[in-house]
Amino acid sequence: MPARLDAALLIAGHGSTVNPDSSAPSLAQAQAIREQEIFREVACCFWKEEPSFRDARLFFDGPEIRAVFVVPNFISEGYFTQTVIPRELELAGRLTTRPNGQLWKYCAPVGNHSAVTDLLLQRAREIAPGVPKSETSLLIVGHGTSLNDQSAVAAKREVEKIAALGRYASVQSAYMEEPPLIADWVSLTTAPNVVVVPFFISDGLHSYEDIPGLLGIEREGDTAAGARAIFQRSPHRLHDRNLYYASALGTAPEFARIILEQVAAFDEAALDLAPIAETVISAHS
Amino acid sequence: MPPPIERVLSDWIASGARGIGQILIAEREGEFTLCHRDDEGRDGLAARNSPNDAVEIAKFDEEGNYRPLKTAPNLRRGWCLELPDISALREALDFFYPGRLAALLAWERNRLHPTPLRETLRRQTGMYRVAAHVTDGEADALVSRFCRSQGGAPGCLRTILWARDETKARPSTRLPLDKFIAPGDQTGRGEQVIPLLCQEACNLLVAEAQRVVKAE
Repeated sequence: MPARLDAALLIAGHGSTVNPDSSAPSLAQAQAIREQEIFREVACCFWKEEPSFRDARLFFDGPEIRAVFVVPNFISEGYFTQTVIPRELELAGRLTTRPNGQLWKYCAPVGNHSAVTDLLLQRAREIAPGVPKSETSLLIVGHGTSLNDQSAVAAKREVEKIAALGRYASVQSAYMEEPPLIADWVSLTTAPNVVVVPFFISDGLHSYEDIPGLLGIEREGDTAAGARAIFQRSPHRLHDRNLYYASALGTAPEFARIILEQVAAFDEAALDLAPIAETVISAHS
Repeated sequence: MPPPIERVLSDWIASGARGIGQILIAEREGEFTLCHRDDEGRDGLAARNSPNDAVEIAKFDEEGNYRPLKTAPNLRRGWCLELPDISALREALDFFYPGRLAALLAWERNRLHPTPLRETLRRQTGMYRVAAHVTDGEADALVSRFCRSQGGAPGCLRTILWARDETKARPSTRLPLDKFIAPGDQTGRGEQVIPLLCQEACNLLVAEAQRVVKAE
């Protein structure tokens, strides 16, 4: 990507008050992009950590920064990308002009990018090297319903794209909180090998404990290191199947490139300057 | 020309500020060494030399517990961070106390507009919408407990600039007056420091307000 020294990049993530690894992917990708010296400044902001989305309104205070690209590091469009981030950052739509003339460009979330499909396939290959895909069921697992959570929709979209390739014996999505349930993985899948990829941005309680628990994987020890070790122990022999369990998709370093491509896509797209959603308007009224 | 934040940081240090929050800043010929203020003059500190090291230093407290609020007075000790220039200092401080230098710059330029607590709570949607139902009395007690510089739970070293509501009343009558006046040394040492300014109730406080309301 060519240098954009008149611009800054703001990566907006969820963060956590209990999980020390939640913000790690955003921070790592920010650092990787910072080292490429494309933007004059690169910063992160979070809903549940510091700096907050509100703090980020104060960033990039210099006349040389004419544009700020905001990229949500979220796995899908949804409550956070459509309601919380625009409200907290005071974005009026895809394009917002600040009183000082600075343009804030609100890009699509990383999970919307078409390359996510390739990263899912890559993650599945890496966790089960040499395992024939024709004898493997791929299970993409998400959170499921919560407030305006469209991650389930996004997971289904990825399932359809990967299934259409015809490489795996079967491809399905499963969720923690709505059917098809992760806990039913044995009946949902048919192949002797099962690869499970969490459709999340970061590792945390869901990928360390909740999903392994639903899959029936026993935890080793109570330490944080023990929790992370879950990803090094594949395959797990359960119900006469070989279960391969990967870490959260969003921890892949390739997401830094996706962030940059969402920035490029913003400028390439014919902009629809209409507000992002009704919720944005109501938040400002 | 250095970025505005670095110029402001340089000015504060040149004017005699010895630190920020719990961090001591020592300058020598344009290079900086940071350590915990309680570790001043102590030997045997684990030396680090990258601004990124601040991320890990700031992540866990002395007991290994995750620190969701970086301005809580529980920064661990035993380390020192050597930084080659003002740019690296700024980077490290942005990891130790994320967002605080940007708030300081805005404050210096009279462009920091604190948001009253009621406005922050009214803005919430989803699971935090109910937080707006917290009473003034409950908010007073909550802010006193949560934001107190010393002995709070978890406590916070920021100077509160936001009011309770449009009447400009202080959000808590139980905190000392200097909790609301910048620049003050919230560690209680009374030294000249770079202030950690709070222009708006954080999400952690909003979440606590939600818990108070839901517990009723």
